[in-house]
Amino acid sequence: MPYQANVTDTAYHYDGSFPGFLCCIFESFSRREIPAAVCPPEEAQMTLFGVREIATDPAHAQRVAAGLDRLGAVVRDRITTGFLCTDPGKDLKLLRFARLCFDLGPRAAQMLGDADAAAAFAIERAVTGEAHRYIEFIRFEERDGMLGTVIHPKHQVLPLLRGHFCSRLPDEDFLIFDATHGTALLRRNRRVQYLAMEHYSPCTDEAELNWQSLWKRFFKALTIEERRNERLQMGHVFKRFWPDMCEMRPDLPVAEESTHS
Amino acid sequence: MDLGEKLEILADSAKYDVACTSSGVDRPGQHGSLGSCAAAGICHAFTPDGRCVSLLKVLYSNACSYDCRYCVNRRSNDRPRATFTPRELADLTIGFYRRNYIEGLFLSSAVLGSPDRTMELMIEALRILRQEYHFNGYIHAKTIPGSDPLLVERIGLLADRLSVNIEFPSENSLNQLAPDKNKKAILRPMGQIAVKSAESRQELAVYKRAPAFAPAGQSTQMIIGATPESDRHILNLTEGLYKKYALKRVFFSAYLPIVADEHLPTLSTRPPLLREHRLYQADWLLRYYHFSAGELLSEEEPNFDPYLDPKCTWAVRHPEFFPVEVNTASRAELLRVPGIGPKSATRIVQARRLQALGMAELKRIGVVLKRAQYFITCNGHTPGHGTRAEIANALLDPKAFGVGVQQLSLDDFTAKPLPAAAPAVHELAAHGMAADQAARLVREEALTCLTKRM
Repeated sequence: MPYQANVTDTAYHYDGSFPGFLCCIFESFSRREIPAAVCPPEEAQMTLFGVREIATDPAHAQRVAAGLDRLGAVVRDRITTGFLCTDPGKDLKLLRFARLCFDLGPRAAQMLGDADAAAAFAIERAVTGEAHRYIEFIRFEERDGMLGTVIHPKHQVLPLLRGHFCSRLPDEDFLIFDATHGTALLRRNRRVQYLAMEHYSPCTDEAELNWQSLWKRFFKALTIEERRNERLQMGHVFKRFWPDMCEMRPDLPVAEESTHS
Repeated sequence: MDLGEKLEILADSAKYDVACTSSGVDRPGQHGSLGSCAAAGICHAFTPDGRCVSLLKVLYSNACSYDCRYCVNRRSNDRPRATFTPRELADLTIGFYRRNYIEGLFLSSAVLGSPDRTMELMIEALRILRQEYHFNGYIHAKTIPGSDPLLVERIGLLADRLSVNIEFPSENSLNQLAPDKNKKAILRPMGQIAVKSAESRQELAVYKRAPAFAPAGQSTQMIIGATPESDRHILNLTEGLYKKYALKRVFFSAYLPIVADEHLPTLSTRPPLLREHRLYQADWLLRYYHFSAGELLSEEEPNFDPYLDPKCTWAVRHPEFFPVEVNTASRAELLRVPGIGPKSATRIVQARRLQALGMAELKRIGVVLKRAQYFITCNGHTPGHGTRAEIANALLDPKAFGVGVQQLSLDDFTAKPLPAAAPAVHELAAHGMAADQAARLVREEALTCLTKRM
């Protein structure tokens, strides 16, 4: 920690929004202190530290956001992307990283030998890594000319999927439902919306099932039995992605047999 | 024959083609067309053999009029034959692409009548995709050796990447095993693509809307282990291809005996997966680590060590190069340290501008220190002290001694050597020794051997 600040035993509680988080950075900067914890509402129940409620002030948030902009795209993206992470404790790590950058300038992002910079980098990589996996493994199904899919990500990856799929499917309508966080990314008539959503029922349209079975047959035909290496496969596609991928789901008739026996 | 059956037959015939990459071209999507490309490439699925599926990899047809001895689709082999129509193939590609199953199309073909006719049909399928369906995704097309240069030019304007398979590492083997192909017919289109592609890049620099000829370059592949060439021969050839034809990739495919023939290894031969892995490692050293083929293998040692990766082998042979000081060494020097790759090297170079790097910092940066610690110094201190045996122990490649349960059948839980384990492990296991014991035995022997060499 090259800058001057007291490491206090106060925990910041904020409303869980991104402007609220920026206000925590503002508070920490103006008081020259590093809090012991930064808690969004869902982590705020039990704490041994003294608590300070940080009110969200748009003016303060704006000032911090402008400061992050000045630090360049790498630092700004690391904090905005990192904020999508859902690991507990990510807020404090990002706050410490922001303080480091405000002190040392944009180069601090590359100072991975530093614990704070390395922690923020790891958070960002966890989120972008998962988003990239979903770019690879999302399987759309078509219903009435519209594409839809359901995913179960750990982190809130929808904003990171938006650019890729809008560019890839420029004239299509599609919906990506994040079942873990209950939000959906809806693109309709070239406009994107984030919606709260609860339930998604999989498609039972015959034409669509036909496409899925075509894909499954292709996938099976492509496997070289002599080189079979399931460990390697699992290293590339983690098992938690499997339920949402049609070729990884067991075939229906086989599943019925195993329940009978 | 329904579409599913055709797809199954033609994918099954294409699965031995290794190249399934979608890299090399960055193209954002635009309204009015479907699809985009990312320079790094995107994988979309992984089959149970652990290989990625990035493209819809199919043959246009497997009804071949050639009779290459090593090939499943040879004329004299009795198997179901199928041929797509251009429209079917284009519809299939679009259907899969919209559902995010694939990144694009990989189109190869058996020789359907004559090379020219085959190419014309392939071009028609690609034309429908690009011009009627406005498909903007990735297309990898294989040119058929012996086809007209004008056709190669036409397909190059439709596809992103082209490839010509060199098939075997030497002309001799090619003549023996693929009597209908010849070296000239393979190298001529390769040269043509290299020249055309360079020209097109120049034109694009001058005029943005100039037609792009194979913007993602070209690649090739060869079969390893069917013929007697040494690793040194193969690697020298690879280096030559990169230099002379500006290839983006050279792929190696471990030979799988699928057809019996007196010129080929017997059907019971295991595919040389470890050798293939070592060749790929060396290929990476050529492309990303500034090594040259001459440094990795010599006339006395024409083949790679099965138990040690090529970079470690080089490091063991050149103790005078080490230790490398992480705080001052150049990136190229860092890249020679076993365990430090291009990403770690870049991060080290960036991080040390602001802070001195010690062992703790290197760990945070994410450098894998298991092997690297014996080859570096941090501010003059040597982080890893070890006896020769300990160092040798850290260097041995665990992949060569892999043992595990493969879930081929549900009731068989005995451990077996993994597919990529060293041949010696497979052999001992085949003679009835328990797999883990065999692996341990071979490892001990390799360890003693390596300790002596250091």
